[in-house]
Amino acid sequence: MEKSKEQIEEMTAAKSLSLITETLNNSRRDILRNSSKYFVLWGCLLTVMSLAIYLLWHFTGSPKWNFLWFAMPLGYFIAAVMGRHDKGMPQNEIGRILGNIWTVFGVFSVCISVIAVFLVPLHVTLLIVVILGIAESISGAVLKNWPVIIAGFILGVGGALVAVLVKSEAQLLLFTLGGVLLAATGLTVKYQYR
Amino acid sequence: MFPKLDPLLHSELRLAVMSILVGVDEADFTYLKKQTGATSGNLSVQIDKLMAAGYITVEKGFKGKMPRTTCKITAAGQEAFEGYVKALKEYIS
Repeated sequence: MEKSKEQIEEMTAAKSLSLITETLNNSRRDILRNSSKYFVLWGCLLTVMSLAIYLLWHFTGSPKWNFLWFAMPLGYFIAAVMGRHDKGMPQNEIGRILGNIWTVFGVFSVCISVIAVFLVPLHVTLLIVVILGIAESISGAVLKNWPVIIAGFILGVGGALVAVLVKSEAQLLLFTLGGVLLAATGLTVKYQYR
Repeated sequence: MFPKLDPLLHSELRLAVMSILVGVDEADFTYLKKQTGATSGNLSVQIDKLMAAGYITVEKGFKGKMPRTTCKITAAGQEAFEGYVKALKEYIS
């Protein structure tokens, strides 16, 4: 049976819509999967740094090792080097929002640390673990990923409680947990958009 | 009466390019080529057509020492794309 012009156009329209949906989804998936490596980078860096400072403080008894935290922004240089291998990977709205969330977290953390060290004594662990949890939960909300939202909540709220109860170097293990959660977020994103 | 489909967008490669650009800030030629699976020559021709229609802007520059062509959707392109999708939906419904 011969197909009418409308039927042919209908099929073409369906094919066009399918092409649009597929292309948009592929592009979105590629960009988000690519962004997952930065979560893993920062998570690993946070885990290694917090464990190293914990061990150094624990075995030398000196809290001065905390100054090593100021080396954390080096992660931005590593991220920049990693970015060179992205081969023209574009940025989309979600990737930009995630980047902004973690940049704001980084700026706040550095400022709070500087104020605590040089101006007024603040409970740095408490403050940073709370904003780390908030950043994690917001990232989860942006990604529409409940495990990440809940992990951020547990880290922020539970971490605040533990930060008050636990003394000296043991507090650093909260950041180790935060680092593991951050890396796990990256792996979750990679899995979600594979 | 069905709305007329924009002939410029009613082509597989141009539509794929527009679909990518509508979801990102900007995309370079290499990325578009990889995503669409088109040849460089064909992609260049289609990009030129979209640019001539004012649907996208094309910037040629360098990333380090490598030449880089970056494409970005314009407001007119965004509007045309939305109109095209709307028309397609009317065909289907």
